[in-house]
Amino acid sequence: MSTTKASRIGEEIWKTRIDKVNAELVTLTYGTIVAQLCQDYDSDYQQVNQQLDKMGYNIGMRLIEDFLAKSGVGRCANFRDTADMIAKVGFKIFLNVAPTVTNWASDNNQFSLIFDENPLADFVELPDDGRAQDELWFSNILCGVLRGALEMVQMQIEAHFVSDVLRGDDTTEMRVSLVRYIEDEMPPEEE
Amino acid sequence: MSYYFTILSPTDTPIFNIAFGTSKGGGDGIARFRFPDTAQYMNQFIIHSSLDIVEEAQWTNGGMYLKHIDTYPPAAAYISAFLTPSGARFLLLHQPPQLPSGSSSGLGSSSLLGSSASTTRASSSSVAANPTSPQTEEAVRQFMNEVYESYVKTSMSPFYKQGMEIKSPVFRTKVTGAGKKWL
Amino acid sequence: MAAPPRHSSMMSTSNAGTLQSSTTDRQQAPQQLPTPQPTQGLRVPSNRKTIYDRHLNRSRNAESSRASFAYLFGEMVTYAQRRVTGIQDLEKRLNEQGYPLGLRLLDLLFYRSTSTSSSALSSSSTSSSPPNRPLRIITLLHLIHGPLWRLLFQRSADALEHSVSPDTPNEYMITDNDPLVNTYISVPREMNMLNCAAFVAGIIEGVCDGCGFEAKVSAHNQPTEMWPSRTVFLVRFGDSVMEREKVLERNGVK
Repeated sequence: MSTTKASRIGEEIWKTRIDKVNAELVTLTYGTIVAQLCQDYDSDYQQVNQQLDKMGYNIGMRLIEDFLAKSGVGRCANFRDTADMIAKVGFKIFLNVAPTVTNWASDNNQFSLIFDENPLADFVELPDDGRAQDELWFSNILCGVLRGALEMVQMQIEAHFVSDVLRGDDTTEMRVSLVRYIEDEMPPEEE
Repeated sequence: MSYYFTILSPTDTPIFNIAFGTSKGGGDGIARFRFPDTAQYMNQFIIHSSLDIVEEAQWTNGGMYLKHIDTYPPAAAYISAFLTPSGARFLLLHQPPQLPSGSSSGLGSSSLLGSSASTTRASSSSVAANPTSPQTEEAVRQFMNEVYESYVKTSMSPFYKQGMEIKSPVFRTKVTGAGKKWL
Repeated sequence: MAAPPRHSSMMSTSNAGTLQSSTTDRQQAPQQLPTPQPTQGLRVPSNRKTIYDRHLNRSRNAESSRASFAYLFGEMVTYAQRRVTGIQDLEKRLNEQGYPLGLRLLDLLFYRSTSTSSSALSSSSTSSSPPNRPLRIITLLHLIHGPLWRLLFQRSADALEHSVSPDTPNEYMITDNDPLVNTYISVPREMNMLNCAAFVAGIIEGVCDGCGFEAKVSAHNQPTEMWPSRTVFLVRFGDSVMEREKVLERNGVK
């Protein structure tokens, strides 16, 4: 499947099959979560990153079913297809953005998602405490979401942010690597 | 004209302060308060003593911009107020420059301080000259609105909690810019 | 290597004031606080864009998925649940998390109605004069029932009522027949009395407090056959608010 075809599918589903809310409600709710974690963990940003990843993982495991039902797409032929499906369909129908897939590793098992728009981070300025810009990955929940969702379809992946405009970087980039296909095991039980 | 602008939290904690001078009519934007040694202290004192009046006006006038609300004659200081709906107070103290001693008319004054009696550059100095004129009220309103926009941007960040000092140098630059533009 | 002078960033801003603490007695001379630590501020991308460069109306009409909100809100509740001892505690925590949002939304609402011709605050778009801060209870409640609800949920709340009991003239009820926060959120079984709308109650409380109307706001399940998740937000204003209300009434303040 081509990237353009994936984009078309994503657009179509977004327009016809998705219940909408005001994007700012999502933005503000997420901001509240991160600010609360920073407070609870006393600005231990490593812990906050971990906690966000864990929350995302929980979401991802439940979200995949929703995704499959709404998109009606079948199994991806390869990891390149998977990448397009994540960026152009998954992100589109859940967050109404479509990050760019790029920077493929030569073995086709590693790519980057570049976010020109990141609704989670609208209005956000990190704390000016000399550490947050070096330690906190504000949108880290998204890494967990991918990890959780793909695990449910037999893909073990690793995802982490490598840059973020909130840190003063020029781009917001997430690196996603395929660890292995989980073929010989039963999937974890649902719910 | 010299200005002292402060933002007070709903519980009267100052969260932002800045002093600047008029930029209109060739002003250099530098504050020259009449009693430079004690200006900082005096300005804060005058602003704080106007708070009771602000609170009274707050419940009779529903506008955000309350215009000129108080005068402190000993220092020839005028106070204008703007209230955000969430309870922060923007207070601007303005103090016209002192007339040069011995000069009764001030006509033809070439002082860069923007002498209040100067009539030679009437149109541009009207903002600076008269703290209670309609032009000044309008200029201050524009200034306040512009600061309000930056303030809302500050407060929308999930890490900003009401009452926190605003330390962002970008915010300071924005306020300075608004001062240059309107005052 | 020589370190740069510590106050170098202050040098260029000789006009920068120092902050001072407020005194409880305003007639007292305010105390000087030490000059705040100069800050270089945060790093910014090479295009120098910061939150101050982003227009506040940029995402005004942007949409996201209801599912994303439900997932995030659900995680927020689950996370909070692990750090509290009971439902009351949990509702209190959700309320506290909503409160600062109320303050923010209040400023955002007013900003938007001053910056655009079609006011976010008035139901008719005919008036272009800047909006007024609410001075009376009823104006405040209309602000919540209409503009606030529309900003959050893209529709007004379903009802606004005043307590009919003479003992509780300070109580008002705002009803939402089908609150978004309850619709897609699966509450753990042992928490079936929990009303996640406590979060929204916190937002309302923030709006009231911000406007100078001290209030306690709580969310209550009031299901009907037609609306199983119908929620009533009970707004209880403090005595000082009721006193002031009487004075303003006498003085004809609207």
